[in-house]
Amino acid sequence: MSHVSIARAREVASPTTGSARTRTLTVIAQDPGVRSRGRIVTTRLRVPAEVLAPGPWGYRVHVIDYDSSKDALHPRAAIDEATDAFEGAPDGTLLGDPRFHAQNVYAIAMATLARFEFALGRRVGWAFSSHQLKIAPHAFADANAFYSREAEALLFGYFAGEKGEVHTALSHDVVAHETTHALLDGLRERYTDPSSPDQAAFHEGFADVVALLSVFAQPSVVGAVLDPDAEAPDEVVRVSALTAERLKRTVLFGLAEQMGEELQLARGSALRSSLDIVPSPDLLASAEFQEPHRRGEILVAAMLSAFLEVWVRRLQRLGEVRSGQVDRALAVEQGADAAERLLTMAIRAIDYAPPVDLQFGDYLSALLTADVELRPDDSRYGYREALRRSFAAFGIEPASPTRGAEPGVWQKSPADLRYDRSHFESMQRDPGEVFRFMWENRTALGIEPDAYSKVISVRPVLRIDPDDGFALHETVAEYVQILDTRGSELADFGIARPEGMPDEQRVLLYGGGILLFDEYGRLKYHVYNHLLRKRRQSERLAYLWRSGAFRAGASIARRIAALHRRRALDMAGDVSEEW
Amino acid sequence: MARPVRISLVMYQVGFGDCFLLTFHYATMARHVLIDMGTTGLPKTAPAGRLLQVAEDVRARTGGHLDGLVVSHRHADHISGFARGSGRTSGSVIASLRPSVVVQPWTEDPRARPNAKRPVSERTGRTAFTTRLDEMHRVAELALAESRTLGAAEGKAFAQRLAFLGETNLKNAPAVRSLMRLGRVRSYVSFGGRTGLESVLPGVKVHVLGPPTLEQSEEIRKQRRRDEDEFWHLLALTGLATPRAWSAGARSLAKADAPSTRWFRERLRALRAESLLELVRILDKAMNNTSVILLFETGDQKLLFPGDAQIENWQYALSKERVRRLLADVTLYKVGHHGSLNATPKTLWELFDKRSRTPRRGRLISVVSTMGNKHGSSTRDTEVPRIPLVEALKERSEYHTSQTIRSRTTFWDEIELTVGG
Repeated sequence: MSHVSIARAREVASPTTGSARTRTLTVIAQDPGVRSRGRIVTTRLRVPAEVLAPGPWGYRVHVIDYDSSKDALHPRAAIDEATDAFEGAPDGTLLGDPRFHAQNVYAIAMATLARFEFALGRRVGWAFSSHQLKIAPHAFADANAFYSREAEALLFGYFAGEKGEVHTALSHDVVAHETTHALLDGLRERYTDPSSPDQAAFHEGFADVVALLSVFAQPSVVGAVLDPDAEAPDEVVRVSALTAERLKRTVLFGLAEQMGEELQLARGSALRSSLDIVPSPDLLASAEFQEPHRRGEILVAAMLSAFLEVWVRRLQRLGEVRSGQVDRALAVEQGADAAERLLTMAIRAIDYAPPVDLQFGDYLSALLTADVELRPDDSRYGYREALRRSFAAFGIEPASPTRGAEPGVWQKSPADLRYDRSHFESMQRDPGEVFRFMWENRTALGIEPDAYSKVISVRPVLRIDPDDGFALHETVAEYVQILDTRGSELADFGIARPEGMPDEQRVLLYGGGILLFDEYGRLKYHVYNHLLRKRRQSERLAYLWRSGAFRAGASIARRIAALHRRRALDMAGDVSEEW
Repeated sequence: MARPVRISLVMYQVGFGDCFLLTFHYATMARHVLIDMGTTGLPKTAPAGRLLQVAEDVRARTGGHLDGLVVSHRHADHISGFARGSGRTSGSVIASLRPSVVVQPWTEDPRARPNAKRPVSERTGRTAFTTRLDEMHRVAELALAESRTLGAAEGKAFAQRLAFLGETNLKNAPAVRSLMRLGRVRSYVSFGGRTGLESVLPGVKVHVLGPPTLEQSEEIRKQRRRDEDEFWHLLALTGLATPRAWSAGARSLAKADAPSTRWFRERLRALRAESLLELVRILDKAMNNTSVILLFETGDQKLLFPGDAQIENWQYALSKERVRRLLADVTLYKVGHHGSLNATPKTLWELFDKRSRTPRRGRLISVVSTMGNKHGSSTRDTEVPRIPLVEALKERSEYHTSQTIRSRTTFWDEIELTVGG
């Protein structure tokens, strides 16, 4: 499987040619602030090979170097099929050649896409109808970078920093973060809807998780910050530098320190802020963490703490080269590999998460279930155990009440369903066929017949167990249900009307779920949020009413551009004081 | 001790702007305080020289001397009238009235120093904060310049909104310079500070309820994550002006460029326009929140003048039980920020005990100086004045708005208050 090699290979010797499936391109490993011996740390990223037009302009990504502040177009960058033109290029070229900036965004976006396709075991589309995501590496003079569904694009700004110009397009984590927004939007278009504090936080939190784990999956980055106190960094590293506490201080905080300080202007420092969160089960209920971006950092914190735990567990299995010292490359490799595994798990979980009104507990159950299905034996490094523990420390409990050997995984769906009138072959690709199955089983599945219902996707998937190469075939179908009501009708459904909401206020209630079929076409899991779940809907409406989601113009403030700006400025509106 | 027996408040028709003359009448004398003088848009019925007319009227009413001058904050719609220029201007007339005490927010103190968290009375140093305010004007200037290159990308109404907000935030250098020299006593105040106005207004207590110092606002923030530079990161925009070597090869779009490229250009320009408007809004809000909030108290009268303060400025004062009690029996409220949706915090409005649905003696008086269709938009629920607020003001108070002043000769509304208690 080419997917396997895409995501697993990181640093390789040379670009490949001919009919090869992948090639390598030089990118900045994190950002120009992360240096080793005074030079910018670069890495060579493996990306899908393709016949590129100048831009670069490929089958999934189209780099258009248009600058809206200047209303000017930069020359299109041509990437030669056989060579990696910027390999070993001096720092001045990396910083000053717009063609390299174009290559940097292209390669990181393609590598992120490849990670998603590998993790999910299928092609992943965008949230818009075009096949090609546009990327503008110098979109405007502004300390901001964002994904825009309307422009079908990732837009990266540049701005004057104190020590010279700062390009958001040159930050690995920023590019991966924005690409993740685009990918997640393609997978779950309803996650940008206003719904609950958790769902509002999830887009940012998840984008940060993917971005940071992508960075930690680069051995050159981990290597640059590991054991900085060693007198002469060489092939070995002291065991004493490899405890969870020391790794947190050197690698995580170390990287947070080095990461382009000025970029924090554009983004805030997710890494730094997450590391500063003191774990407590009360965080999610506290006022401070009601703001979406701050809340998203809890997700990041929980994930990073699981990452450290797994890494340390893997390090403990390394043999010592000399007394008290282990092989440096191996120690780095263990960290990068742990990050990569967690990253794959984090992405895979999306297929097991309800398509509307996502809460962190749902995500945790999805994370655990997706992994159990693919990799039942977790005894070696205990990824799931680490995740359960670390999420619990931050107050996130699985949404599923299942106990037993694998607590928190989704419950299996009921066995007594009718399959006799649905066709296996069609059920793997045809929304109409899946809807027929749903309708016939509506009572058993708890589907609300009165609501507008739609199967929005049906996707066959093939996933590979990283440990033994075992293949898992599944089909994932997604449906939504919508009930169009008025403020005055809420009581009829047993849903509390927010104080001050007028009778005539239009209210849309959303529900929906995923149907996961096994390789025989039998339903394994039905993960859903029922649209008339009274308590959840009452809480959702109360939150939306309070946060101003029913105001005119609220949709504009919700866009990711505005979200990022508010995050950088640490602004929180208080609509309860407004007219 | 002498105490005023009567107060009169004159609200001038200055379109979108503020200009109030507050006069305290004593048994044997009168004392005059001018609060703001500026406009960013006059109604069609007003001559271009309206501010000079207003200044002359102030001179006539005060007999040639101002006891106090309050400059709530430095937005053009509050200070444009203070610019002197050449010949006889509103600014030169006001300067000739030699105001005894000039009150401004602490953020205007020319001696404020870098990273100032407190007023200069507690710290001394250079001029950094004011420099920063200047830099904010520069950002507005650049945003405006860039928005012009976007042309009609977003339509005329949008361009007008952006231009209006941008221009309000441009530096009004002549006015700022003129203000720096006015006043025998110059007070740069913060919450809990003293204005010096009591020395010229016997029997009147003047409470300063805002702006808070940076340290005071930190006290009530739920969290403190970034340093005080956070707003100023907008200055990143100032990089716009510098030529960049890496962009040397850039060129304009040509007909030969791919249709997808041209489609993309239009989308990106539209997004950029939206984003510039948002930037300018952030600047506007930051500047509004430097507004001085004053409460004049004498006998049974309490007059509240909050400039354009929004909730972030108000928050500190409203967090104090003592202040909430003080505000309960406000008799006259100058509506914040021309009646915008977020400058009359609901918490504040709920405090006013003298609100009533029926006209009666001692009913709360509300006064708003504003002009419709200049600021915000009703499709976004951001129109100024905000309709639900106006409705509440009309329903629960004796409502005065400058919008009803249409006469060319009587370009003011005068409100009389008797001091009892």
